[in-house]
Amino acid sequence: MGATKGINLTRLALVLFFLVAAVLPLLGLLANLANPEAWEVFRSPQFIPACLNSAAIACISMLLSLAIALAVSWVFCRTNIRGKKLFAALMTLPMLIPSLGLGMGLIFLLGSNGILTNLLGLSTSIYGFWGIVMGAVLYAFPSAFLLVYDVLKNEDSSPYEAADVLGIPRLRQFTGITLPYLRKPLISAAFATFTLVVTDYGVPLMVGGKTITLPVLMYQEVIGLLNFNAGASIGFILLIPAVVAFLVDVLSQERGRLGFVRRERVIRANVRRDAAGYVVVGLVSLAILLPICVFALVAFVVKYPIDLSFTLGNIDRCLNLNVGAYWVNSLVIALAVALVGTTLAYLAGYVTARVGGRTARLLHLACIITLAVPGIVLGLAYVFSFKGTPLYGTIGILILVNIIHFFASPYLLAYNALGKLNENLEAVGATMGAGRWRVLRDVIIPQTSGTILEMFSFFFVNCMVTISAVAFLATTIDMPLALLITDFDAQRLTECAALVSLLILVTNIVFKVVFAGARRLLTRGIPA
Amino acid sequence: MAESAVKLSVRGLMKTFEGKEILHGLDFDVFQGEFLSILGPSGCGKTTTLRILMGLLAPDAGSVTLDGRDITTAAPDQRSMGIVFQNYALFENMSVRGNVEYALKFDKDRKGRRRELAEEALVQLGLADQIDKSVHELSGGQQQRVSIARTLVMEPEVILFDEPMSALDVETRLSMRAELNDIQERLGTTMIYITHDQEEAFALSDRIMVMGGGTIHQLAAPDQIIAAPADEYVADFVNKNLRIKMDSLARFMDR
Repeated sequence: MGATKGINLTRLALVLFFLVAAVLPLLGLLANLANPEAWEVFRSPQFIPACLNSAAIACISMLLSLAIALAVSWVFCRTNIRGKKLFAALMTLPMLIPSLGLGMGLIFLLGSNGILTNLLGLSTSIYGFWGIVMGAVLYAFPSAFLLVYDVLKNEDSSPYEAADVLGIPRLRQFTGITLPYLRKPLISAAFATFTLVVTDYGVPLMVGGKTITLPVLMYQEVIGLLNFNAGASIGFILLIPAVVAFLVDVLSQERGRLGFVRRERVIRANVRRDAAGYVVVGLVSLAILLPICVFALVAFVVKYPIDLSFTLGNIDRCLNLNVGAYWVNSLVIALAVALVGTTLAYLAGYVTARVGGRTARLLHLACIITLAVPGIVLGLAYVFSFKGTPLYGTIGILILVNIIHFFASPYLLAYNALGKLNENLEAVGATMGAGRWRVLRDVIIPQTSGTILEMFSFFFVNCMVTISAVAFLATTIDMPLALLITDFDAQRLTECAALVSLLILVTNIVFKVVFAGARRLLTRGIPA
Repeated sequence: MAESAVKLSVRGLMKTFEGKEILHGLDFDVFQGEFLSILGPSGCGKTTTLRILMGLLAPDAGSVTLDGRDITTAAPDQRSMGIVFQNYALFENMSVRGNVEYALKFDKDRKGRRRELAEEALVQLGLADQIDKSVHELSGGQQQRVSIARTLVMEPEVILFDEPMSALDVETRLSMRAELNDIQERLGTTMIYITHDQEEAFALSDRIMVMGGGTIHQLAAPDQIIAAPADEYVADFVNKNLRIKMDSLARFMDR
């Protein structure tokens, strides 16, 4: 019964890990509210407008993201447009770039000297409320799209056939069948986009101008004024919507909707509908590609916006500014987080989905609760609890904070995949003399290799683009590449900032392509 | 059959889960070469009993002896027993052959011959043409055969079945029943078969153990259970189904 002991140790270690790496830092941050100084920021004149801006921007961006996600998913599932796979990949492109990069792209496009601004002779400026909304939609829409599209493409078509027979009009079918069917993913997408936008400082920092949001206020207090107490108080406020979203969404999540019989939809030929589909997807693709292409262009001009002639000189400039070293930082952090994070999240999923017990339920809650903690808040909490420890100021703390920050989603991937496997595999193994670990190695891991790769990929890509949890913890030496964008932008090294964004994007695309290949190789012959 | 030696002996088996008593002290014997069904509705404790017999679960009190050897705390692979699950529990990342070979991988004496032994077991179960296929290319009935072959190849003295046919269609069930009887006749293995399906229990068993609420209500041959049910519960549980059948038969005859 050595395996049982091992399992108990693993479970205990994971619970302790969460206690030290997530629970205690957050409690430390909240304890800081007892400090009377911490309350001062609530009385500052910027606070109430920042709250209102944040709430309004998050709500509007959420609604827009959902509407676009729904429209695009509908086109993919109900029309015969060509290149669906390519378009679908394009829709998720913004996920591969830091939000700072997206904001920067918008400015190159629509800022006071922006390419489109000049081309169209626009007089209005993007800086401010609506600029932030645009950037926020660009940033958050892909998450909503993935959630909605994934459910819609697995929809059973028989209710529609029945509705057709009964002569129910198309619009009524949409409101009566499609929308109720999508209720769950739409709610999830609503909370996901709201949380993403309300906690992001990248877009509003770039395009906000005088419009301040809560994360920007927090960023300015902490980075600009070194006022950590004020930061903690704002962090507490940011925690509220995220926790509410978490409680409503995750705790009400029903499991096991899979396994029903499904009829594949036959999409009839309809030229006008397909044309409309091309228009919708084309417009959205353009809105995504333009800002990205623009910063890709700016990365190769002499001096934006004065001298737009082509040059490769920015590569040299970047190398002289040590971009190579920061790129290595990012790679080291992303790979370490992906390796350690995937291992921990998989083990945690194994314990909660296949071992069970009371501690397992506690562990499950601990694992998904990280979903509710904004990265920027987690990062600040780490400042409070790890200052003075040997870990502080090292690349180790950046790795740790990213593991916790991005833990929930890969953990849920593992939890769902492992829960779906036959519950008696370990029992069968035991009768053959194969212990738990042996069955894990020989049977369970091979059967979930696709999931493991997906988890790894999630950690990696998110670490490459994140600016939130690491913002207050990185030093000038161990800083990841994405944080360099603000630095370069502040030093008017605009072209270099653009090149850095491009480098992150290219790294992620190369990684994704390599991974897709690896996945195809590994999961050959195993049904999804 | 009834005269033969006691193979497996269970005494005073108790089990409590989170404050709820599941088994209230079971006593029963299983004879060498017998086919014993444990029959009862879900929640009656039959699966818990099975898991304790297999060593997948430790009882709170009581003992299990096999051929006079106390195996109450023995590891599952130290009991000369095998188990076949309802949902097959096959290793989907391995081929049909791989599944059966894996069962011998940890058997020092026979792992060297595992390839030929696996083939033999699969051929016996009529899977000669499926040996190199991957598991998910097979039908439900074929998958269940693989899982039976995987258990048989370990040459257990007692085989436990956990509702092995509930996921199969009627026709496959009927042929599988014949197959099980066939295997038992050929190998003389003791079999303990869990089911909530009366018809199946009556068709297959030498004796039936009717369970309810964590206790044994009756343990007797099928004809005895019908002729002389031990109590209300058994009469009710066993006869309900039969009565319905008799009724429909009577109506059919009347026409």
